[in-house]
Amino acid sequence: MKLSNKISCSHCHLEFDKSVMIEEGEHYFCCNGCQGVFHLLGDEGLESFYKKVGDVKLTPPTQQYEDSSNFNAPAFYDKFVKVDNDGFSNVSLIIEGIHCAACVWLNEKALHKMDGVIEVNINYTNNKATIVWVDKLVKLSEIIDMIRAIGYNAFPYDASIQERQANAQRRDYYLRMAVAIFASMNIMWIAIAQYAGYFTGITQDIKTILNIAEGILATPVLFYSGWIFFRGAYYSLKNKVVNMDLLVATGALLTYIYSIYITVSQDGEAYFDSVSMIITFVLIGKFLEVLSKKNAADTLDIISQNIPSEINVVKDGAIISCKLSDVKVGDVIVVSSGEKVLLDGEIIKGDGSFDESNLTGESEHIYKELGDSVISGTTSIDADIHFRASKDFEHSTLSNLVALLESAINKKPKIEQLANRLSEHFSTVILSFAFVTFGVWWIYTNDFETSFIIGISVIIIACPCALALATPVATLVGLGLGAKRGILFKEAAQLETMAKVDTLVLDKTGTITVGKPEVVKEKIFENFDKSLLFSLVKSSNHPVSIGILKYLKEEDKGLKEILFDQFSQIPAQGIQAKVKEYELLGGNLKLMTQNNLTIDYSSEHTLFYFVVNKKIVAIYELSDKIKDGAKELVHNLKSRGIQTVMLTGDNEKSAKKVAQEVAIDEFFYEQSPEEKANYISKLHKDGKKVVMVGDGVNDVLALARAEIGIVMGNGSDIAVDVGDVVLLNNSLKSLEDAFKISRTTFSLIKQNLTISLVYNAVTIPLAMAGHIIPLIAAISMSVSSLLVVGNSLRIKYKWIKN
Amino acid sequence: MDNWIVVMMLSVSLFLGAIGLFAFLWAIKSGQFDDEEKFLNAAKYDGVDELNDAVEKQKKKEQLKKEYKPE
Repeated sequence: MKLSNKISCSHCHLEFDKSVMIEEGEHYFCCNGCQGVFHLLGDEGLESFYKKVGDVKLTPPTQQYEDSSNFNAPAFYDKFVKVDNDGFSNVSLIIEGIHCAACVWLNEKALHKMDGVIEVNINYTNNKATIVWVDKLVKLSEIIDMIRAIGYNAFPYDASIQERQANAQRRDYYLRMAVAIFASMNIMWIAIAQYAGYFTGITQDIKTILNIAEGILATPVLFYSGWIFFRGAYYSLKNKVVNMDLLVATGALLTYIYSIYITVSQDGEAYFDSVSMIITFVLIGKFLEVLSKKNAADTLDIISQNIPSEINVVKDGAIISCKLSDVKVGDVIVVSSGEKVLLDGEIIKGDGSFDESNLTGESEHIYKELGDSVISGTTSIDADIHFRASKDFEHSTLSNLVALLESAINKKPKIEQLANRLSEHFSTVILSFAFVTFGVWWIYTNDFETSFIIGISVIIIACPCALALATPVATLVGLGLGAKRGILFKEAAQLETMAKVDTLVLDKTGTITVGKPEVVKEKIFENFDKSLLFSLVKSSNHPVSIGILKYLKEEDKGLKEILFDQFSQIPAQGIQAKVKEYELLGGNLKLMTQNNLTIDYSSEHTLFYFVVNKKIVAIYELSDKIKDGAKELVHNLKSRGIQTVMLTGDNEKSAKKVAQEVAIDEFFYEQSPEEKANYISKLHKDGKKVVMVGDGVNDVLALARAEIGIVMGNGSDIAVDVGDVVLLNNSLKSLEDAFKISRTTFSLIKQNLTISLVYNAVTIPLAMAGHIIPLIAAISMSVSSLLVVGNSLRIKYKWIKN
Repeated sequence: MDNWIVVMMLSVSLFLGAIGLFAFLWAIKSGQFDDEEKFLNAAKYDGVDELNDAVEKQKKKEQLKKEYKPE
């Protein structure tokens, strides 16, 4: 530490050079924000936070927040604050910046210290908090101010009904599984005594006692844990389809009744162990499916929350905030830099550049001035404007987009899972086999009791455990393999769907290419102090500046930032600054011509000119680099029979260049988000199954409409929410891995299903012939399930070999 | 006589097991396992200060409930 002269901030623990730190006694701070929080915690008597937090690095509280009084607006309270039965206010918040358990402790503690706050409960895993308070004593804005003051940020979210239902459902499964597993484990050791007695001899009294104990344990399993299957069976009968639930429910119930009969008659073998094992295994399989199901409705909630509900409007010369839905055509709306445009309209005052990448995919910012039209959904980069609304919110481009997205998510094509299709036939066949067996035996032996028992044994032996476990276990292994390689499948069923896909649609920017311009060539005409350029590009957030900054940093680590005497950004052109005797200018060709500077230089790449004292001293060529392994990916997928198409919002020239370089034959350029989505629909009409890979907001519609939407982990939040699969390391190698994993998993599912079917094909005839002895029944139970689980684990070894 | 020993052993052990099961079910229902991270970190925040805090929180909650409960 001492050697590099770096020192860590007393609050956030990030390390910086000693010279740039704020010194205060023995403490050092990286910024005023950290210093403020440090003192606040000291004043409030919460210093023990630093002991608890250890060396965990925190986010410095440098962000500037808009006025929190917005949170007290009635419209806001209507939407997010609920009043509970006791008359207290409730809100759900998402807290940003939580890194460790100490952060949770600090937030809870600080909020509890406030007057009127009754309950604070922060979930560390998902950073969601619920707060209960007395509105007469403290307002929501004060609560949020407190969270901000201690260095975190909070924003309310609408805990949707779906989310609550999903949580309740999960908890319900936990309860049922706990009962089932507890009872099964106990039945198992009682069963050991039973089987030992079967071989070595056992008195009928003891046998009956053990049977009764098993029966008592099996009852809650069947009627509490197994309730789900009875419910499923009821609905399947109502809709006149045969499903797995029906088979499980009839099998378990008949076995249970038969076992009670055996226990009472004190003759023969009871099968209470089978009853509880079937229910337990199938319940676990079902739970695994429920656990990995994504809720489309939740995704939509997140999207609509990204739209603020209030907007600034000029009325009678004053700026007032107004509900978005109340704005009428012709109202004048104020947008300042960094804000989102929420309505369509025409600029009547001001100018500046806008980021339209949401809608067009065009990465360059667009300069707009008086009379130009602004489109909702775009973001103002540096423009402070007034514009006249030409449409109300309901008809705006933005709400159109949201509506389109909504329908795309709801209409997402679902490929029916193999196991579901199979189990329907399986159940029908087994039930009819059992019935026929019973009938034939009755006719031939004329002995109702024996025939009935043999009929039931067919159902018992056709234990659906293996079948029910075949898919969930295989997908679980697949999900695990993916997670290790930074591939997140949001839903288990997607592994199977992805294996059936035959077309891959790629977005260009950010997917095939890195998405950030990088310096590919440096041309220096005259020597100059690199620190000047370093400082100039450091003051701008434009992608080109960031690209050059990165290049300079890699080339020379010792560059120091110089403070400018004067600095300004010229929208859509570049930056200019003055320091000492230097007059600096950096930007594109347009800036050069405006300043009457000419140079004979041309390139297919983006150019950045650097001017010192009216002389062009250097030119940097920047280009969006293609990611490693793009060409191999396209080639490998082609050999697997997957066709690759590229869609981009960019122009023909750059699209063609990239397509040629990675050998994609089919590509479409200047595509709007709707056109991209329509192209996916067109593929669907041709009977194709599509994977769409993208990263931006402009891909969201297409991502939602494709069978599988894959998103790069650094993509926009909405895209990550909408996507089905997230590639955390953004690499194309993991895209290929995702294909491999899904195909391996699917072949595994097929193997598992085959195993369980072959198993049944062997044992069912035995049962029909009446040869089933308890030993075979018991072994059949576990061996078939073990085979399926064992086969699934094999995938790991298989993977290592590949 | 032997049979009754088996019955007793079975019923006592199952009874004890059932107590454990019901405690676990109660814990799930009351949301103690909802946040696994917090659950695992609970041991770190289990000192005298935390206990005092918990008591004060409870007191404050009850007082606020008494004062501000709308009729």
